[in-house]
Amino acid sequence: MTRRFLTAEDVRRLGGPVIEVDESTVVTPQALEAAAAMGVQIQTGGAGAPRPYTPPAPDRGPDAGRAMETLAHLPEPRGELAGGGMIVTTIGKNRPGVLAEITGYLAGHGCNIHKVSQEIVDGYFHLILTIDVPDSVLFAELKGGLESMGGQDDFVVLAMHERVFRFMHRI
Amino acid sequence: MPPFTDHEVLELVRMVELETLDIRTTTLGINLMDCADPDLESTCEKVYAKVVHHASNLVATANEVAEEYGVPIVNKRIAVTPVSWIAAASGASDLVPLAKAMDAAAKEVGVDFIAGYSSYVHKGFTRADQALFDSIPEALDVTDHVCSSVSLASTKAGINMDAVNRFTEVVMDTANRTADRGGLGACKLVCFANVVEDNPFVAGAHIGVGEPETVLSVGVSGPGVVRGALARLSPDDDLRAVAEVIKATAFKITRMGELVGRETAKRLGTPFGIVDVSLAPTPAMGDSVADILELIGVDSTGAPGTTAALALLTDAVKKGGLMASSSVGGLSGAFIPVSEDQGMIAAVERGSLSLAKLEAMTTVCSVGLDMVAVPGDIPRHTLMGIIADEMAVGMVNTKTTAVRIIPVPGLGPGQKVEWGGLLGTGIVQDPGQYGCEGLWRRAGRIPAPLQGYRN
Repeated sequence: MTRRFLTAEDVRRLGGPVIEVDESTVVTPQALEAAAAMGVQIQTGGAGAPRPYTPPAPDRGPDAGRAMETLAHLPEPRGELAGGGMIVTTIGKNRPGVLAEITGYLAGHGCNIHKVSQEIVDGYFHLILTIDVPDSVLFAELKGGLESMGGQDDFVVLAMHERVFRFMHRI
Repeated sequence: MPPFTDHEVLELVRMVELETLDIRTTTLGINLMDCADPDLESTCEKVYAKVVHHASNLVATANEVAEEYGVPIVNKRIAVTPVSWIAAASGASDLVPLAKAMDAAAKEVGVDFIAGYSSYVHKGFTRADQALFDSIPEALDVTDHVCSSVSLASTKAGINMDAVNRFTEVVMDTANRTADRGGLGACKLVCFANVVEDNPFVAGAHIGVGEPETVLSVGVSGPGVVRGALARLSPDDDLRAVAEVIKATAFKITRMGELVGRETAKRLGTPFGIVDVSLAPTPAMGDSVADILELIGVDSTGAPGTTAALALLTDAVKKGGLMASSSVGGLSGAFIPVSEDQGMIAAVERGSLSLAKLEAMTTVCSVGLDMVAVPGDIPRHTLMGIIADEMAVGMVNTKTTAVRIIPVPGLGPGQKVEWGGLLGTGIVQDPGQYGCEGLWRRAGRIPAPLQGYRN
């Protein structure tokens, strides 16, 4: 019998020693408790290859499959970077070696710099780097590393995905 | 495609860092129709299990997207099928256990709110709707994360005044039950005319009958960004220039929502529903819709001219948003939740923003009377009249209107209540000395207006 859920009441009604459920059945926590208390096994896989029940991956419904196909192909403004693009903005007090520190860190992670823009006004600088993040580098890790550089009295770094800029500034 | 100019890069950085641009909410809609069971306890088990099953990775996924794209996602929420529909099979008269199951699931998955403790009664009550109404005060008292909404009127159906009367009692009971917290329960309770079935914003979030099994929707905000853009205009620029600036800004904000929505939906493996493009203020300085109205040109929000300025704002936000996404939905426009907006609180304190003017503003804003405090001892028919008036505005204008009103126990006009967090500071408004007892006594139904007969 196909069932969406197995509840504690179902377990009490069906009894043991074994209750067969579908791969997609969601067994409630209360049903698991009731089964354990009654010594009932909850199994999936039919009589041929019975397996203890494991919670199924979420089935997001009949629209989900098509959504996954179309979501990836919805038109979006194209970028010029091959891998994951990142835009790094740095603002701070100017001192020797700031640019080297940041670009050195990026080089250490195999990032290719596409564009550098820097301006210095009254001893303060802002630096904008457009970089290509190789597939082998975890975006979040690189971003975290960059943003932990500098300090309040030195400079601050903000790293954002290039896709955000594309969505906002290009049609 | 040319590389981004410094101006483009710094514009976005400014929006995020200085103008509090954020994605206000990612809301996962979960259909609970298959949780109906003749036994309420089993229904509760199923609701808990299904919500946890689908939402266990919502918070982690939203945080991952926020971290990776560098765009803050402030709230993660769940919207479910109005629970009176799934409780009906059980015949239970006390539905508080369902609220507790929803609350437990919300705590388990770590979301900020779960909404959908709801029913539609714009034409009449089922037994389950009645049970839900009876259970709302206790449900909102004993839970932390559950939000409740009801549909009382529509352009097609008219206004169910019996339901308005009953809802008024529910609001008063809910506020009284949570008197120790300034009537906080009523902050989580809202009624609608022309209810929106894909609204991702609480307290009114839920998913209607036409929605899929699961759906991910996004609510974008950004009053601070619009305010910043308008502040850079000259005070003498034409109103068309104002509309253009708001449109362009709303476009950019909505694009962020579109991106975050697509990406979060993809990672969750669920259909992407809608982007709700709403300027939703917060108590943070500068994140205010009132500030925008004052920048457009009114001395203090509530002064003559406020409705005109708000009409321009709401319309321009919608237009910018519609160009930016093919999935604009929900409420979309400008919210005016009084206690949540620093500028509106100031306007009430200053004496420029009255309850009457607020009602006028709701004819052109995207929702309605929102987060309005009234005296705890307000006569019930006066409160009913305020709610009925707002339902009438929605019904006749074929627009969504809502009422989230809090009779603050023990407080009178001009007194202040702190609800804390996003809910902000309420200043009790004076509802005046006249009510509408005769209307209360008559009850019944206000027939649908001519606008409703368009077939």
